[in-house]
Amino acid sequence: MVTTSSSPLAPIPTSGATTEGSGAFQFPRLYSFPPFFNIQPVLSTRASQLASWSSLIQEYCRHHRIYTLTLVDALSTPLFNNSSLSRRLSLRDARAVIQWMTTTEGGNRAEWISAGNKKVKGEEGGEAGKCWIFWKKPEEWASALEEWVDRTGQKGVVLTLYEITESDATMKEEFYGMDPDLLSRSLSICVKRGKAQIFGGEGSEGVKFF
Amino acid sequence: MVDRSRRTPGLSSLTTSRISSSQYASHGASLRNQNTQSLSTQLSVFQSLLHNFAVTHAKDIRANPAFRAEFARMCSAIGVDFLASSHHREKGKDGDAGSIWAQMLGGSVNDFYFNLGVLIVEECRSTRAENGGLISVSEVKKRIQRGRGIGGGMEVSDDDITRAVESLSPLGSCFSIMKLGHRSLIRSVPKDLNTDQSTVLEAIQVLGYVTVSMLQLNLSWERPRAVAVIEDLMTDSLVWVDTQAGENEYWSPAFIGAAGVGNG
Repeated sequence: MVTTSSSPLAPIPTSGATTEGSGAFQFPRLYSFPPFFNIQPVLSTRASQLASWSSLIQEYCRHHRIYTLTLVDALSTPLFNNSSLSRRLSLRDARAVIQWMTTTEGGNRAEWISAGNKKVKGEEGGEAGKCWIFWKKPEEWASALEEWVDRTGQKGVVLTLYEITESDATMKEEFYGMDPDLLSRSLSICVKRGKAQIFGGEGSEGVKFF
Repeated sequence: MVDRSRRTPGLSSLTTSRISSSQYASHGASLRNQNTQSLSTQLSVFQSLLHNFAVTHAKDIRANPAFRAEFARMCSAIGVDFLASSHHREKGKDGDAGSIWAQMLGGSVNDFYFNLGVLIVEECRSTRAENGGLISVSEVKKRIQRGRGIGGGMEVSDDDITRAVESLSPLGSCFSIMKLGHRSLIRSVPKDLNTDQSTVLEAIQVLGYVTVSMLQLNLSWERPRAVAVIEDLMTDSLVWVDTQAGENEYWSPAFIGAAGVGNG
């Protein structure tokens, strides 16, 4: 029996995550199924299980506006730890889920973040297992940003990155409070598409859509 | 009238017997005719009554699961299966196509069950990888009532689902209802469970999960037998393993959230 820290529904404290979640997150019914917390040995079952985990993680992160997960920390949060069942996903299994999400089969819904320059052998995303969770992929964020600029008639206007993610004007948008790294990555996709241009240097960037 | 017991000698007897037999025949024919007429009158009265009933209550039949079940029960009690009778479209004497029932009920009841059948097939297919093609009727009901997308979701009863699954049988598909303990399950894979497998699933349904030693103790099975059955069920995705409880526990995804699921 695994002893678990019983934490109530609290957003996962990760870097760049805003603690904004309206109402309690509605867990899927598999979440109350104890074997869900063991990666199944039978291949066909596992495939379906991984897909279910992937959608749970995406939905959870979308609900709590989480952009990155650090697995060692996240394991004790409700996402991976069902305290009422006393069941939790092990680090190894959680890695397997994220690893699957990074593949094309898993829809590229996650990406490991390498820890600095030091190479940790064999461990993706460093020892702590840090990764992006793309409940919207950078390309999808890029499209969302383009759509927003178009909708609000701000083409040709120079916007600061702060304005995009933190101002009152974008409070209702999905990218409000977005991770700055993910934002610049999405913006650079806009640039590649020829839809935007980035000005200024580190810390004081501005962007113009056209 | 000629007395038939009296045998008249000579040729005239031949004519008499011919006459009498033709008399009998015509009388019989008229009797049959009368019977048919009165029966067809009764039938048409019955049909029109049933038609009126169906038309008046069409809304209820479609909207109210309990009412629909009663209506279906009434139809089957008087020996009419409106699902079956709607399958063959026969050309009547007066050239009308379609079954009596499709005409009378405007096809709404039939269509209801066929639509429901399609939904059931969809649900079974989408969950097959997860549960190995075995899903409880109540779970399907929940999913269908929740519906998908906007405007989805409809009010159905267990009885409706059973009937709809039965209506799929002409497709020669492998969809069937199976009983396990007091629970009905829809099986959407053609594989038959053997007795041991059914026993284990039944135990899971009652207890929530089983372990190998539980099977050994309660069913006095040898360990290899219990292990083999569990492994078979695992291979077919019919049970999932939980390794976090000391001894491995085996759970069936067909019974998620069902009563009796306790905490190991």
